[in-house]
Amino acid sequence: MSNKYVEMGMRSPVNLTWEVSLACNLRCSHCLSSSGEPARDEMTTAEALDLVEQLHQARVFQINFGGGEPFMRPDFEQILDACHIRGIMTCISTNGTLLNAERVERLARSRQVAIQVSMDGSCRETCDAIRGEGVFEAATAAVKLLAATRIPTSINTVLTAQNASEIPAMHAMAHALGVSLRVSRFRPSGRGADNWESLRPSPAQLLAFSDWLAESGDVRTGDSFFSLTSQERQGLGLNLCGAAKLTCCVGPTGNMYPCAFLQTDRFKAGSLRENSFQEIWDNSEIYDSFRKLRIHSCEECKRFDQCHGGCPAVAWHLKNDINGGDPECLERCVTSIADTDRLALAA
Amino acid sequence: MAAAGVSTTQLHPACRVRQEGFGLLFYDSRGPRLLFAATGNLLPQDYFETARSRDELPEGLSDSQKQTLKKFVDQLLQKGFLREQ
Repeated sequence: MSNKYVEMGMRSPVNLTWEVSLACNLRCSHCLSSSGEPARDEMTTAEALDLVEQLHQARVFQINFGGGEPFMRPDFEQILDACHIRGIMTCISTNGTLLNAERVERLARSRQVAIQVSMDGSCRETCDAIRGEGVFEAATAAVKLLAATRIPTSINTVLTAQNASEIPAMHAMAHALGVSLRVSRFRPSGRGADNWESLRPSPAQLLAFSDWLAESGDVRTGDSFFSLTSQERQGLGLNLCGAAKLTCCVGPTGNMYPCAFLQTDRFKAGSLRENSFQEIWDNSEIYDSFRKLRIHSCEECKRFDQCHGGCPAVAWHLKNDINGGDPECLERCVTSIADTDRLALAA
Repeated sequence: MAAAGVSTTQLHPACRVRQEGFGLLFYDSRGPRLLFAATGNLLPQDYFETARSRDELPEGLSDSQKQTLKKFVDQLLQKGFLREQ
């Protein structure tokens, strides 16, 4: 039912991802944007504040801040304040290492912010192998600070081959800390592309995670786990890629993209230094192509109504074809395992 | 505005609403959840930002439109997009 309204076109995104800086004090091996050093010519404070006002005028409900590490920007709290004064809700994806009691106390005052702290394992060894030495401890300390406030807090985990078996333990850890667990999909973008083969979950791990997720109703999933069961996603009434329809991405230099995983020139929808946010949302040819995107090759699949072809970003990064359907979808996982079993039997 | 002592309804602080072509789009950040309400132009987008009694509706509506909107307000309350004060 809901898709009908989405297809009619939204006056602006429901929410958007804003990667405010590429600067990061960590070098996580799965980072979608290869963060580290700041990008050349990142948006100035004045430009960022002007964008907040434009998003307010467009009545965007929520901004999901990421990066890089958002708190690496000295003016980040100023940008947050500008959002909250205008009633724009915010969610910050942070590695947690730059959160201290004073900062958390300031953030808690707004009542309009939610925070996701990234952790990639239930123990130091697994987490630090992906995120760097000492990060598990620092992130845990940050979660404890946040859990003591009214800020809605979650631990955000990217599902990889290395931590797939630890997801239930991470769920228990999140409960013990008094926060929720959110699991995001690993995509071959940024440094994640360089380390794709070593970090990607196997088809068996994806299927096992899907089964576990179906029984774990309070676990949240990232936007594009289309192929995986999610009560919240069903509750949202959406079963299609939201890029350019319900959401979009603003990069550190003011370029706009369909989503955070497609921040390349090929998918650049426009620059906020040349056009307004509303002009780009309304008139971009790239956005128009995503709104018209139909994954015909998946239409015969019995799961089509549940995913509508899955994540175009994964299809692009793995097959250079956004029309080709998600190569990592559950149905293909099942086929892949069956093929492997057949080969093993034949050998 | 509602008279003193009368219970009022208002948008929940975790929720937002805006006008779309089909009517009103509600967003609940607690889920997050979306609600697509095919209200057309019957209600302005800022209608729920002010505390109002449940029976208070815009002027100029037909009886059937009023009935429909009252049911709609009840549904919004039930789903948690509005809260009673």
